[in-house]
Amino acid sequence: MKMDITERLTKVFRKVFDDESIILSPELTANDVDGWDSLSHINLLIAIELEFGIEFKQNEIQSFADVGELMQSIEKKMAEKG
Amino acid sequence: MKIKNIAYSCLTEKCLQGLGNEEAIQWLHPDLSSQIILYETLEAESNKIAGVMQSLGVGKGDVVAIFLPRHPVLISAFFAILKLQAVSCILFSTLGEEALYDRLENSRAKVLITRRSLLRKIRAIQGKLPDLQQVLVIDQDEDEGEFIQSLSRLLGTAPGEFPYEQFVDAETPAFIQYTSGSTGKPKGALHVHDAIKDMELTFNEVLQVKPDELFWCTADPAWITGLVYGIIAPLHTRAKQVQFSGGYGAELWLKILEERGVNVWYTAPTALRMMMQEPDAVFARHNLSCLDRIYSVGEPLNPEIYHWGKRVFQTEIYDTWFQSETGSIMIANTPQSRVKPGSMGVPRAGVRVEICDERMAPQPAGKQGQLCLQKGWHSMFRTFFRNPEKYAEKFFGKLYITGDLAKKDEEGYFWYVSRADDVINTAGHLVGPFEVESALLEIEEVADVAIIGADDPLLYQKLVAFLKLHKGVQWSKELELKCRIHVANKVSSVAIPSEFQIIERIPKNQSGKILRRVLKAIYEGRDPGDLSTMEE
Repeated sequence: MKMDITERLTKVFRKVFDDESIILSPELTANDVDGWDSLSHINLLIAIELEFGIEFKQNEIQSFADVGELMQSIEKKMAEKG
Repeated sequence: MKIKNIAYSCLTEKCLQGLGNEEAIQWLHPDLSSQIILYETLEAESNKIAGVMQSLGVGKGDVVAIFLPRHPVLISAFFAILKLQAVSCILFSTLGEEALYDRLENSRAKVLITRRSLLRKIRAIQGKLPDLQQVLVIDQDEDEGEFIQSLSRLLGTAPGEFPYEQFVDAETPAFIQYTSGSTGKPKGALHVHDAIKDMELTFNEVLQVKPDELFWCTADPAWITGLVYGIIAPLHTRAKQVQFSGGYGAELWLKILEERGVNVWYTAPTALRMMMQEPDAVFARHNLSCLDRIYSVGEPLNPEIYHWGKRVFQTEIYDTWFQSETGSIMIANTPQSRVKPGSMGVPRAGVRVEICDERMAPQPAGKQGQLCLQKGWHSMFRTFFRNPEKYAEKFFGKLYITGDLAKKDEEGYFWYVSRADDVINTAGHLVGPFEVESALLEIEEVADVAIIGADDPLLYQKLVAFLKLHKGVQWSKELELKCRIHVANKVSSVAIPSEFQIIERIPKNQSGKILRRVLKAIYEGRDPGDLSTMEE
């Protein structure tokens, strides 16, 4: 499950930031990825919503400190979805 | 007339005066770890980079582009370029490949300094850039052939000394600052070494940073504010300053203000608007008693933000106005004059400002018109690089036409109204609709497109895209994402439209010009007015 999410999320990151060299780790933050700012972050969340069939609430949009927190949120939402 | 090279004034002279071991910058990394950068460090690093570039054939008048996020090497590289009497062109690291291409092509940059993670954007366009001879990578130890070389490797053998001419002709080109227009490609405002006089003067007269005060300018150096008030003026005047290479975060920024004890803070209204979304308790957690005054620039500081900011920061906020073209602050609120919330302030001493009607006749107080400045100040741009026709269009006799609409009140305060053209001011960045439209037209599902700016409580203005899709294409969340990603990667993240609207036909006049006023009226639910010029 976790591996599957990591692979799918990596694909999403590479597509959104047009960079095939991105390798995800839980510690990765916006400071580590060129082009990941508050504006492109919206693109990232839309892409994640579409990929995983989940939705982020307004107050969640800027709440992830790193990729680890983002992955936890995806896992939780997918579990809730069943 | 001769003048000291900007690099000499900011670095070399300080070292020759025995101030080399003085702190030039408190550099804060994204994790808030700090590094003290001394004048002598910047001097030695810029000497080495200048030596490397000279050995690569960079000389007087050559353009060297810097495509990096905030980084100490960016500052050293900027001064190295000036020491060679070459021309610096700092570019936002968020630029997409087409926006990057437009700027490199127009500037005919000979050398580009960047970092490894940004190389993919350069590789995508390098074949179309015959003037670009060398790419220097700051964080890579190995060369990739002749074209892409490791700057760190080259610096390993470079001498720490670089003799150069202390004095240059005052009109010697120093840097290019790209700005967007309502039509066509971005234009490069060219500034000369003479500009430092106004940069120093405005830093002292407007920002008034005292020797015992700590200054923080949050602007990226690719923005005129970041270059002039984050690098040149504070180094030249020996102001104590902090620089932060991370992104925006309310808690993070408040921590910097508190823990570093920032006294004078120069930031953007958009940053304040973002902070305004935080509850008061966030601000109450921080002791901001050191903060003596705040300055803002980039877009108008509306009274609501002004009053909120005064309340939570417990200090005065002074809005200022200038442009890439003006090179330094022209109109400002300062501690010497009563602040009128929402106003741009008053012109600084020696600057004559007029409000003119369509025939360029000066207007009395209370009348709205084109904001124009009497030309002749030191930091005024000297041309649009390789675009003298567009430069000429910006002048009427001795008046520089700013492209902003404003009015003046009876007490001589100026009040911003809007842009006079179609350029969109979003989060302090000027975005030309043409660049975004061109990118969206590359998407196969899109048949036609028009971009307008609409009021936004956070960004000041947001981009709204009107799209006509090809027959049989359905609008979907997937297609919206495709459009958003394409704009971010081809133009810039600041150019991503906040909204997309699908329409049957883009309204145009009989010569094919997009009728943006009609779209704006449709968007705002107003009557679009006279449609007689619209094509059938």
